[in-house]
Amino acid sequence: MAQSFESVSEPIPISLVSGRYLLFDVNVVTYLRRTHHICGTLIGSIPQNPQQNIFHGLPMELMPEEAKLLVQKEVAYIVDDLAWHKQRYESMKGEDKQKYLQSLRSAGLKARKATQEQAKKNSEMALSRLATQKAKGKKESPAEGTPEPPDDKLPDTSFHDTSGAQEEDSIFGGEGSSPSRQGTAFASNKPYPVTPTTSYASPSLPQNPSPPPDPCVPLSYSLFAHLHSRGYYIMPGLRFGCNYNVYPGDPLRFHSHFLATSFEWDQEIPMLDLIGGGRLGTAVKKGFLIGGEDTEAETDGEWGDNVRTFCIEWGGM
Amino acid sequence: MTPSATADLPPASSLQEILESSKSSIEGSPHPVYLHNLASTIIHDLQFQHDWTALSVHIHSTLTNDPLPRPIISGLPPKRAYIHPDEQIEIIKEEHKTGEKIIHKPEREWVLPSHIQEKWSLAKFAAVFDGLDVVPSGTGDNHDEEENPIGQQWRGKNRQKRLLLATLHDDSTVVYYIVHDGIVKPRQN
Repeated sequence: MAQSFESVSEPIPISLVSGRYLLFDVNVVTYLRRTHHICGTLIGSIPQNPQQNIFHGLPMELMPEEAKLLVQKEVAYIVDDLAWHKQRYESMKGEDKQKYLQSLRSAGLKARKATQEQAKKNSEMALSRLATQKAKGKKESPAEGTPEPPDDKLPDTSFHDTSGAQEEDSIFGGEGSSPSRQGTAFASNKPYPVTPTTSYASPSLPQNPSPPPDPCVPLSYSLFAHLHSRGYYIMPGLRFGCNYNVYPGDPLRFHSHFLATSFEWDQEIPMLDLIGGGRLGTAVKKGFLIGGEDTEAETDGEWGDNVRTFCIEWGGM
Repeated sequence: MTPSATADLPPASSLQEILESSKSSIEGSPHPVYLHNLASTIIHDLQFQHDWTALSVHIHSTLTNDPLPRPIISGLPPKRAYIHPDEQIEIIKEEHKTGEKIIHKPEREWVLPSHIQEKWSLAKFAAVFDGLDVVPSGTGDNHDEEENPIGQQWRGKNRQKRLLLATLHDDSTVVYYIVHDGIVKPRQN
């Protein structure tokens, strides 16, 4: 993992695709999570199962707040993928094009090699399993002490094991006798067709043609930045009806501590919202955290510094 | 059976007594009467429903001497109203080690009266907290610093500012929620 971390260099390009902030590199995803407490949401599903709604994979979508925070910390920058792709597509000619095609080809070859190796490993494993089964079968058959020949096709259950082993034996023999057939199936040197997930090779960082404006974030951004600067991990808060779920450590290892909801400094909060939030939070062993930017306080330049927060818990009486 | 005598009224209820006794403090107070009556109702609930003692109403901030945003109650609950989760861990560890039970002595708490139909805001909560001491001053304080040093860093002056938000409904239900000033990790009830 440490090795793949070295391939991640800041600033990281964040792809902006139809208003979403996406990351396509697993090393970047791991790096951001470990180093910058950015969790994001994995949104990729398997093409064969587009209705999949659990165990998602790449790409990872970032909340606008997360994208803005990374941009402000100069850890990342936003790339408008459409503009970048167009520019790149039009300008790619001659040698560049050949290079690109070559990179696709080598990726295809790599994929083919990996599949081949996996298939080889699988067949080796199957063969060794068969061999052990056969050895077992041979040991068992004399133990049964039946004098009848094994080619007797009587529906005698005591012989099923041996006859089964024999059938398998013949398959085993057949496969073993014609390794060339197996070889030809894999011998084709054609690279697998590869569909790239991005329109540029990952090592060549895209230069930003026209830097898009900072991500447009909701008003709760200042609370987000405040909590993030205090080392909390932040996830979307839909499941508890709040702005953010706030975790004291990596969400894979910790339960969340707070249900955080942001308010404007003078925004009126109905009593019922406070009591409902406090009650829900206590019921799930969390605190209901309200907070927002103190517009009257002077800022020290650090974001989220002028945010004031209050935690609400049930009084137990 | 004539309803003649106004002289022999039934004895005043405890709430009536509280309301009567608060009249003197209402005069000359910077707060409107309904806020005083709200506080009186909460005091009644604390005293007779929850067995709180040493209840008093604070009109002015002891920090700034300005009037508080509204009359705020302080009192002594029958048992500790809040134990910080880290303090609890510390106490359980100590109890396990010594085999002796550690008694949680109650601490004076602030109680902020409110009504269900009110609207609060971050600014208003901030104004309340900015006017309050960490621990309310008043009678009934017990300084147990010497006898029980376990978990001392979460008690008394060392605790984070907090208050009980008492919310009154028209059916005289009162609910109490602990509000901390700042980020305090939740209890694992």
